[in-house]
Amino acid sequence: MQELREVLLNTLLAAGLYATMSYGLAVIYGVMRIINLAHAGLMMLAAYVTFALYTRYEMDPFLSLVVVIPLFFLLGVLLHRFVVRRLPRTTGTPTMQSLLLLFGVWLVLQNLAYALWTGDTQSILTPYTLKSVTLLGVRVGVPNLLVFGVSALSLLALNFVLKRTYLGRAIRAVTQNRDAALLSGIDADRLSAITFGAGTAFAAIAGTSLSTLYAFTPDFGRSFLLKAFCIIVLGGMESFTGVAAGALVLAFLENALAAWTPIPTSFQDAISFTLLVLVLVAVPQGLPGIARKVARWRASS
Amino acid sequence: MSLLEVRGIDVFYGNVQAIREVSFDVAGGEIVTVIGANGAGKSTTLKTLAGLMKPRKGTILFGGKDVTGLAPFDLVELGLVLIPEARQLWPGMTVLENLELGAYGKRARRERAGTLETVFGMFPRLRERLRQNAGTLSGGEQQMCAIGRGLMARPKLLLLDEPALGLAPMLVREVFKSLRTIRDQGVTVVLVEQNVSHALAIADRAFVLETGRVTLSGPARELARDRRVKDSYLGFASA
Ligand SMILES: Nc1ncnc2c1ncn2[C@@H]1O[C@H](COP(=O)(O)OP(=O)(O)OP(=O)(O)O)[C@@H](O)[C@H]1O
Ligand SMILES: [Mg+2]
Repeated sequence: MQELREVLLNTLLAAGLYATMSYGLAVIYGVMRIINLAHAGLMMLAAYVTFALYTRYEMDPFLSLVVVIPLFFLLGVLLHRFVVRRLPRTTGTPTMQSLLLLFGVWLVLQNLAYALWTGDTQSILTPYTLKSVTLLGVRVGVPNLLVFGVSALSLLALNFVLKRTYLGRAIRAVTQNRDAALLSGIDADRLSAITFGAGTAFAAIAGTSLSTLYAFTPDFGRSFLLKAFCIIVLGGMESFTGVAAGALVLAFLENALAAWTPIPTSFQDAISFTLLVLVLVAVPQGLPGIARKVARWRASS
Repeated sequence: MSLLEVRGIDVFYGNVQAIREVSFDVAGGEIVTVIGANGAGKSTTLKTLAGLMKPRKGTILFGGKDVTGLAPFDLVELGLVLIPEARQLWPGMTVLENLELGAYGKRARRERAGTLETVFGMFPRLRERLRQNAGTLSGGEQQMCAIGRGLMARPKLLLLDEPALGLAPMLVREVFKSLRTIRDQGVTVVLVEQNVSHALAIADRAFVLETGRVTLSGPARELARDRRVKDSYLGFASA
């Protein structure tokens, strides 16, 4: 019972961060049909910027989001303006050029980080880094709780924008049918820039969050990008609930396998990778595909 | 002066030419219909007018202004709106969201509430379905929603690509009736329609496209009596 509670709570806490990390990829994919391989590099860069703000100006990492979010939004808009926008338009599957280009951006960011901060492992040690509190009878780290709070707020804000504002509805419209959006007077190019900015800001929120939980080097972010891919393949790229469900499934599997099997936690990356392959082979439509099948089966019986 | 003047446009898909030297005029306040066999280039013509495709040659004037090569959202802002083939609604959004997004442009957004009432007046069925996802509407309701969304943009010139496709005869009549109403409210209409006899009956003028060229044009009543039109396009429609 105690163990189950622990697994469930840890699942929820991890899933918040995983979802935040994945939405950045998903909104960009939805609007532009681009898989942003630079996502990992942007998370890493945000971790270093948070680190720099903490060591230089003693700015609390969570407070530094006030600087990091607008900064990375702007960086995303510029990246779109000068790099991504030059790609040929695609409406179907992502092109090879887009994958290579954004992979290149990732490499540039990595080398930039090596040049600025060397390859040494860094970490952020705040007075509360090692503190923990008891919640529902389970001990959880204070940073983990704060990270969850930040994720929950970001997701609520994103959901509000997508559902309630003209801008957010336009983003959903381009995602669901780009031509129809153009024909309704939506400026897809401007919208793409804003979306790339927002996706980058979400990468930054994830990066800052991760920097309070883990040590990092310029190579940081790769395994989290893999998790995000796994979540998106599971949950589908186009639905808000799908991504949330994907994040919950992955987080649950990681925590459950760690608690109830002898698989060591150092194998966590292998879990997401195995899951990714299994899903791609067995249910390429992901959870939405399964949900549709169940609905059809229930309707017919 | 004509509201729309198309002067010798050539349009290509890659290296394949779909439209050759097409020219025609549309005067304000009329309904013009474009007739042609499958693959003649009707949809391509409309897509080019709406800015989804760029002509390689020729010019398009709208309200006397050269609009060749403008982006779709610029054209919508000027009042040139296309309701595309196969409706193209946003299936995961509600009817209301679909309609409201139709009024995305600055000009249309200001008049949104009033336009919405006009649309409900024309299609009362939509009011009953407001909170339903557009993807779950029946074919006829989807078409009403698509026309409604186009009207929300406050068009001066409305282009429609086969609005009656796949509808039951009663709904076809309803859609055609709504086009008359739309014209009577001062909106100029260009209609592409497989249902040639219906289209000629409500249109003021018509022209025929054959493999990307305009081969015939004139008042709709005259074309309806034309031998060549009767043989090629009215044969099975009236049978
Ligand atoms: N996306 C495309 N890529 C390449 N060729 C295309 C494309 N769309 C249309 N074509 C070609 O352009 C020509 C004109 O097509 P268009 O869709 O304009 O015809 P249409 O008159 O609307 O036909 P229909 O009555 O079947 O709707 C056709 O030969 C068609 O094969
Ligand atoms: Mg067509």
